[in-house]
Amino acid sequence: MADTSHGTGGVSFDSKKRSWPNELNIFFALIVIVCLFEVAGQLLPYMKGQSMLFDFNTNRDGTILNMARLKIMILQVAIIGIISLGVTQVIILGGIDLSSGPLVGAAAMVVMSFAQTELVNGNPNPKAVFGEWAFDLPVMIPILVGLAFGAFIGAINGGLIAYTRIPPFIATLGMFLICRGIAQWWTRGKPVSFPTDSFASLGSGMMPVVWFGGLAFIFHFILKYTVYGKHTYAIGSNEDAARMSGINIKRHKVLVYVIASMLAATAAIVLSSKNLTAQSGMGQFYELFAIAMAVIGGVSLTGGRGSIIGTVLGACVFGVIQSGFTYVKLDAFYQLMAMGTIIISAVVLDQWRQNSSSR
Amino acid sequence: MKKTLIALAMGAAMATTAISSALAANIGVSVARFDDNGLTVMRTGMTEHVKTLEGVDLQMEDAQDDVAKQLDQINNFIASGVDAIIVNAVDTNATEAMTKAAAAASVPLVYVNRQPINMETLPDGQAFVASNEIESGTLEAFQVCRNLRAAGKSGGAKGYVLMGQLSNQAAVQRTKDVEDVVGMDMCNFMKVIDKQTAEWSRDKAQDLMANWLSSGEEFDFVLANNDEMAIGAIQAMKAAGLDMKVIEVGGVDATADALVAMQAGDLDVTVFQDLAGQGAGAIDTAIKLSKGESVDKTVFIPFKLVTPNNISDFIK
Repeated sequence: MADTSHGTGGVSFDSKKRSWPNELNIFFALIVIVCLFEVAGQLLPYMKGQSMLFDFNTNRDGTILNMARLKIMILQVAIIGIISLGVTQVIILGGIDLSSGPLVGAAAMVVMSFAQTELVNGNPNPKAVFGEWAFDLPVMIPILVGLAFGAFIGAINGGLIAYTRIPPFIATLGMFLICRGIAQWWTRGKPVSFPTDSFASLGSGMMPVVWFGGLAFIFHFILKYTVYGKHTYAIGSNEDAARMSGINIKRHKVLVYVIASMLAATAAIVLSSKNLTAQSGMGQFYELFAIAMAVIGGVSLTGGRGSIIGTVLGACVFGVIQSGFTYVKLDAFYQLMAMGTIIISAVVLDQWRQNSSSR
Repeated sequence: MKKTLIALAMGAAMATTAISSALAANIGVSVARFDDNGLTVMRTGMTEHVKTLEGVDLQMEDAQDDVAKQLDQINNFIASGVDAIIVNAVDTNATEAMTKAAAAASVPLVYVNRQPINMETLPDGQAFVASNEIESGTLEAFQVCRNLRAAGKSGGAKGYVLMGQLSNQAAVQRTKDVEDVVGMDMCNFMKVIDKQTAEWSRDKAQDLMANWLSSGEEFDFVLANNDEMAIGAIQAMKAAGLDMKVIEVGGVDATADALVAMQAGDLDVTVFQDLAGQGAGAIDTAIKLSKGESVDKTVFIPFKLVTPNNISDFIK
């Protein structure tokens, strides 16, 4: 099926012009990266011929696959991945959201305050934020509080961008600082720990991947087949044309930013549950990694182009690289440099491929 | 009439300043990061201690891990005429400029928690309050070594080291302490498989440990530069179904979360750095210096080893 969501705001396009969906390229890049690590594992003497994805010798999990590594590859990017689902929509709209990382920190602090349990190992909770009334609340309360907080921040972001027409970069940069401030002010910088069992189960084990996968599926569907999705692509491709054709641009912009911030708040819920703690410094650089995932996944920063599938693959690229670095025991210094190089080259390759295909 | 009023107002203003400066000490504090857990304990230690003192005013600033911002804050403190300054240095290599600025204005300066590079040449009216960093990593690693011997693993034990931010003196020192202990005759049966940074964070430590676990290599101990990373590693190991009774895990800080993990039998060793004590000690030192009293150049607040045997001393 021809992918109708690219570039033209949902209007079908000449299939000869792009015979090869962008997502397939990222998928191949992913395979190439895995192969590179496998080769490195075989060639480096200190690796003793260990494989990255396979486990031929010990058969720990009853398969020849190294299940533990396959799991952690996705698990470690799932939470930032949830943010990047929202960031994808914002970038397709032609905007940018820098506030998502600090929002994760702030939302985690707020959420965890409503998810605390009264007794820890039989002792009173040493990290209690509120009085007795806030202990052992039903799990829906922290979730709803978190989503409402996210929606509130998103509405301010979107409102500023749509109605005062300040650039999204500036609006969300301001919100970046405000959210980091809220995160620190909430408990004066003290961490909030010891959630109820039901809250802890939201992000335990592979649950972050379930959230990421489920939300990715939902938003893939929404972006591709609903009016909301078509309008998002239309505004990102050509805002004036979208306005002429009767789309309520301001309202739609607010809506997209609200949804993006609610996704970031969801990430905060899952993250604080996974870690069993909320700390004001959480989510550092998440906004940049979320943007990088989307960009590696083929989402164009000029707006109007990209897809959820691409972003999910972009997240997978990150996961594979991160695990691969630990697998070959590369030092942290080189990891950062390599990560930066990969992000830049992904975008350069994408640009180059687009230029050559449009000629 | 007007003149009298102005004179009265000025007199009143001068009187109030005179009274406040006679009674009080205004202390400016610049902390490297407000969102760091350990430094928050230290910061709270300062504010709590000040509440017990008469007429001492604190002005807290967050340097946000920015060397330049911290120097600006110190100059602002000097300009607004504080009686003393307390600095928790962002970068311990950049303290010379702070020392000079404060000395030039004859404002007392107290470094807290992180040792300034110009420790040897600190002028009068400046001091350093901290715990001796060499103690923490050594206490931690040596206790883990003893536990492993007691468990009959002196024939050979393997493990991982989780490091803090590589730009941080404490991370470098604690990692070196571990290496020194592992190099001792008594503990050289311990072999470090790999050491990586998880940037002090529980989240990153969880992912890093899960990555290590995926190699399937057997190991006996995990030494983390702080408790948060030790807890992250424990969460990953438990998720993978490992028996925490068998694996020795060590951290540093003795945070509330860590003590709970120790009660649950997951964490075996941690080291209590009396950060609140450091904060209070810094305030006391600053007040003494502002009154012109002499103090030791270095005020050490000792580290304490925490194990399941003495954990009850540390639970509040």
